[in-house]
Amino acid sequence: MIRLDNVTKVYGAETVAVRDVSFDIAKGDFMFLVGPSGSGKSTLLRLMSRQERPERGDVWIAGKNVNEMPDSRVPYLRRSMGNVFQDYKLLSNKTVFENIAFALEVIGKPRHVINQQVPAVLELVGLAGKEDRFPDQLSGGEQQRVSIARAFVNRPLILLADEPTGNLDPATGEGIMQLLEAINRSGTTVVMATHDHRIVNLMRKRVVQLDRGVLVRDQERGVYE
Amino acid sequence: MLARIAYAFRETWASFRRNLTLTAAAVLTSAVSLLLVGTTFLVQRGFDNLLVRWKGDVQLIVFMAPDATPENVAYVDGVIKSQPNVVDIDKLAYLDKPASYAEAQQLFAGDPTMLSLLTPETIPTQFKIVSLTDDSALLRSLADQYRILPKVQGITLAEDEFEVISTLSGFVRTVTIVMSLVLLVVAVTLIWNTIRTAMFARRREIEVMKLVGATNWFIRIPFMLEGLLHGLIGGVLSCAGLWGLNRAWQGGVAGFKPGTGVSSLVVPSGYVSGVMILLLAIGALAGAIGSGIAASRFLDV
Repeated sequence: MIRLDNVTKVYGAETVAVRDVSFDIAKGDFMFLVGPSGSGKSTLLRLMSRQERPERGDVWIAGKNVNEMPDSRVPYLRRSMGNVFQDYKLLSNKTVFENIAFALEVIGKPRHVINQQVPAVLELVGLAGKEDRFPDQLSGGEQQRVSIARAFVNRPLILLADEPTGNLDPATGEGIMQLLEAINRSGTTVVMATHDHRIVNLMRKRVVQLDRGVLVRDQERGVYE
Repeated sequence: MLARIAYAFRETWASFRRNLTLTAAAVLTSAVSLLLVGTTFLVQRGFDNLLVRWKGDVQLIVFMAPDATPENVAYVDGVIKSQPNVVDIDKLAYLDKPASYAEAQQLFAGDPTMLSLLTPETIPTQFKIVSLTDDSALLRSLADQYRILPKVQGITLAEDEFEVISTLSGFVRTVTIVMSLVLLVVAVTLIWNTIRTAMFARRREIEVMKLVGATNWFIRIPFMLEGLLHGLIGGVLSCAGLWGLNRAWQGGVAGFKPGTGVSSLVVPSGYVSGVMILLLAIGALAGAIGSGIAASRFLDV
């Protein structure tokens, strides 16, 4: 589903964010990208969603080389993936329902589809009944659930999560992980960047570890170390 | 498709309300600059009316009496052509009654009293003479020669009534064109800046839109529509201003004595409507250009 071939990303003249990284992620996999801050985890996620382009190497998503993709095709690539962030990136002037509906609206989904899919995904993330709340009326965990609902409402092939539990207490973080696992069980490939030891050790999924942009470990059912 | 159109209009309207002061500034600047552009057109048209009989470097006009026979006209024609070293024979033109009448319609557009006195039968015909020399004394002696020919009603020299107006027209043209161009650039820049501010205010939304796979055009169109509306509303205001200005001008001119020439400065209402349509088009175009540049320039997320 996702393949990186010798990918190198350099910022500015000499800040190497990612150096010569290669790995494969099969359809339906769940993978942790771990490593300290600045090790290149977020950069890899940004390369996968074509928010960045590598200096060298190729990024393949569902059989397509995203570096060679014309700009006009990038929106369609992004419709096949959902993004979840540490800071949720919710729109504060829109309700829970509107935040999720927005993701469908901007890709041209008709209103009757939106009215059907948004309640369904709210049910899935456990926020049924809170559709009329605004983000600042929700707890951090609930806001992250809205963000996941927005990323998943279009049933993407891939879910990219960048430190989704970074702002949450351990118990809330575990709830989010259960949700991501449920989404993964439905067939969506999940890639999650984190430096949360506890969660990685609890989940026992594949772990790819980065250190200053270099891949230093790729382990099935791994732990954080 | 309908959902997308509805979305574009909803977003445009929301952004309009959010940026009310900047929007007002952009709209008013467009209106003022377009009004100046429109005024330039009207003033030029007024001067053109005034100068219509001198078009093509004509320096001397010989008016024939309305009752002149073809033989009288042929005789005068022969006299004029007998001086090929002074008169440019190729450019010599004779305006018969229908042609002279048509010209008078333009010249006395704002002077109904004068127009009512003229008919295609009673109008003097005219020879328009382009001279090969700029020597004023020579032209005047030429005029004196023609004045005594049979059935010549009168002679008018360009330098007597034309040069002051011509110089004034050139000056006014330059000043108004330069001012309207500068103001148009200011209007486009203000629209550009308004759209940039609108995009900055919504940068988080735009970021989310891009991440969930909205196309650039989908994001851009409400902003471009907003800029286009700024220009268009400015255009509508400038049209209203131009209409009012033209009305006041017509009213003012009506107060002058007939035959003073000022009445030529009145512009036909068909022409004013044409200028208004042009102003709306320029406004919309300026708005679309300003916002289009801004929307493309600030879309990289």
